[in-house]
Amino acid sequence: MESTARARLTAIQRILRQRDFGVLVAAVLIAAFFSVITPVFLTPYNIFNILRQTAELGIIAMAMTILIVAGEFDLSVGAIYAVTGVVTGFLATRLGLDIWLAATAGMAAGLLLGFLNGLLIATTRINSFIATLSTMMVFRGIAMVLSQGQPISFKLDFFMDLFGRAEIGGMLPVPVLWFAAWGAFAYVLLHRTTFGVKVFATGDNREAADLAGIQTMRVKRVAFLLTSLASGLAALISLSFLKTVTPTQGTGLELEAIAAAVIGGTAMSGGVGSIIGTFLGTFIMAEVRTGLVLLGTDAYVQEAFVGLVIALAVIVNVRLSARRR
Amino acid sequence: MGEPPFLVVQNVSKAFGPTRALDSVSLAVEKGTVFGLAGENGAGKSTLIKILCGVHSPDAGNVALDGRPHRPRDTEEAEKAGIAVFHQEIPVCPNLSVAANVFLGPAMPRRGIGPDWKRMNGRCVELYRSLLGEEIDPERLVKDCTAAEKQLALLVRVLSREARLVILDEPTTALTPPEVARLFAIVQRLQKQGITFIFISHMLEELVQLSDTISVLRDGRNVGVLRRGEFELQRLSEMIAGRTLSRTAPRNPLRGGAPHMEVKGLGLPGEFQDVSFRLQRGEILGIAGLQGSGRSALVRALFGAPPAATGEVVVEGRPVALATPVQAMAAGIGYVPEDRKALGVFHDMDVKTNVCMAGIDRYTRRGFLDTPGLRRTACQMRDGLSIKMQSVDAPIRSLSGGSQQKVLISRWLALKPSILVMNEPTRGVDVGAKKEIIDLILGLSAEGYTFVVSSSELDELILLSNRILVMNRGRVSQELVAGEATKDKLVLAATT
Repeated sequence: MESTARARLTAIQRILRQRDFGVLVAAVLIAAFFSVITPVFLTPYNIFNILRQTAELGIIAMAMTILIVAGEFDLSVGAIYAVTGVVTGFLATRLGLDIWLAATAGMAAGLLLGFLNGLLIATTRINSFIATLSTMMVFRGIAMVLSQGQPISFKLDFFMDLFGRAEIGGMLPVPVLWFAAWGAFAYVLLHRTTFGVKVFATGDNREAADLAGIQTMRVKRVAFLLTSLASGLAALISLSFLKTVTPTQGTGLELEAIAAAVIGGTAMSGGVGSIIGTFLGTFIMAEVRTGLVLLGTDAYVQEAFVGLVIALAVIVNVRLSARRR
Repeated sequence: MGEPPFLVVQNVSKAFGPTRALDSVSLAVEKGTVFGLAGENGAGKSTLIKILCGVHSPDAGNVALDGRPHRPRDTEEAEKAGIAVFHQEIPVCPNLSVAANVFLGPAMPRRGIGPDWKRMNGRCVELYRSLLGEEIDPERLVKDCTAAEKQLALLVRVLSREARLVILDEPTTALTPPEVARLFAIVQRLQKQGITFIFISHMLEELVQLSDTISVLRDGRNVGVLRRGEFELQRLSEMIAGRTLSRTAPRNPLRGGAPHMEVKGLGLPGEFQDVSFRLQRGEILGIAGLQGSGRSALVRALFGAPPAATGEVVVEGRPVALATPVQAMAAGIGYVPEDRKALGVFHDMDVKTNVCMAGIDRYTRRGFLDTPGLRRTACQMRDGLSIKMQSVDAPIRSLSGGSQQKVLISRWLALKPSILVMNEPTRGVDVGAKKEIIDLILGLSAEGYTFVVSSSELDELILLSNRILVMNRGRVSQELVAGEATKDKLVLAATT
């Protein structure tokens, strides 16, 4: 009986009922619009370029999606991104440590900060907006003190190739591979494991989840660790590509990550969201930016456009999900 | 009463798609009376109310208010015509004072650019005296008021705007019995001042007590009108259900043997103290008591949410720690909470995930989520408990209240616990589903499940329980065995 009920839906209906369908349509429409206007838009080179530019944001946004679905969010990801970079740079250049060791220590520092975020929220139960707003400033301060406000440059190394600079077949930039690998990891974790179910349950109805024996605080703490891990990975990609880190890098990254998740249909109230949606949300933001550059638009206008896209995406999404109900 | 009735509803019909919510319903309400409206969930009560207050417009038929046709286009017009509704959830501004909540709106008294607090407070006190015959501190914040006091504030609010017909939609669900008595006294006082009421309640005793006339809706039709003097609970429940609720359910004899669960001297300061009982396998222990008697806190403590401060619980001869739900689950205890929406259901998820949520980690195969396993368990539960649904992949929101409640029960059955603690297992479900849930509990106890059921519905407890503990001010005031438990005795033990 079960299977007949499902078979009754045609393939098209099933696609239409997917949550992410609306975002996909938006991404395709925007791509179509720009490729009509500028012929260079829809070339493999440009698409890979868009993906490379947005890989760091996308990696963080996907982890942020898991956290938002669990009912919290993290404003300190941009600062963690800076701390990981600065710690790595400090150890590698000032102390002359091997880049691999330095990068491992940088990632560990980032994870520690994520752990502290989770601890702060679990023990004090402060709203995560306030809690991570304060840790954002503290963490940024750590990056500033360690680097004395100065950028740190690296010597070229195989490490840089592996994380940021190599182009496979002269075409596919390696950050895109990291983006894809992290995306696959996040997708499986959120949509194909029992941990993912617990994340959704925690954000959907926290008290009911507690009463179903789910340790919601532990779920949230793991999600905070994941956002810090993503920030660390993004920081390594950035320092590898640019061969330099600055203590101010990643300012505003937290809000862009939240925006990408929201464009992708993640509900700020928790319990609703998807990794594919967030991927598409990140992609839409990058599409609009790149497209406007190719059109030769004034750089100051671009931010305003991205803002409009966010508002539009959310309005459309609310309408669509209201109709689904 | 020579004049025409105050409110006349004539052959009103309303359909939503294929569903006929109202099918040619007619009724008449006399001025200054209380008109009781009874019926299961989905019988058409809400639709009728929504037509009266301008949310829906009827497909056919007429409504006349005070001799004039009444066809409000929106709620504002209905309000102007003098119709006010009380919903189950009371919308108030909790951080404002009682007086501010009463006068909030364009007509709020002003002095200069600011509100005229002195006049507002004075008028608020006057209104409470003249309308309700009660004293009030107008500067008290609404968030510090009880549910009953909030309701009264709203009542004063609508009456100060010259409401002539007040619709009370389940006004008593959040109230304690003394508060209900107080509300009823006020309604009767207002009735004498010429205010007309439509009163909706699931509690038949309340309908009988307050109403002058009771009309029963079933499947969108008016199946009968009873006047004061003809009221009879048995007859009313038959009219509502269209069938009789069986009073003599078969109860299985207990097997005896060693106690399955033993509770010794359980206590939680400020909630309950010194509660002890023993349960045999397959026994159903009912727990009765008013709100605030410690009844609800006691059953929550059995699931560690939150735990008791003192005392000991022994399951199958072994003392168990019940500090968290996880520990309670490890001891073989499951818990169906009292508030389905707030504490039970995951609203954005489908049925199968809702069924399998407790102990979700069992559905792991090679590290991944075992979706076919979820589906299998959910289908098993759907068939075993005959839960009505389109498919186990359907969103939980598409199920009726009764079916959702069954899903919450099945969540624990899927885990195969041995003891099920239930808090208000039939709250907010209609008469038919209520009977099914009661039969389900009886059937499961025959299979060897042991139950602790806390409920505010005494009939239900008497029907279910092998034994009933009555809680009063945090202590067990009486213990009654199946045969000897009657409603009078329970009420007496709970209230004195």
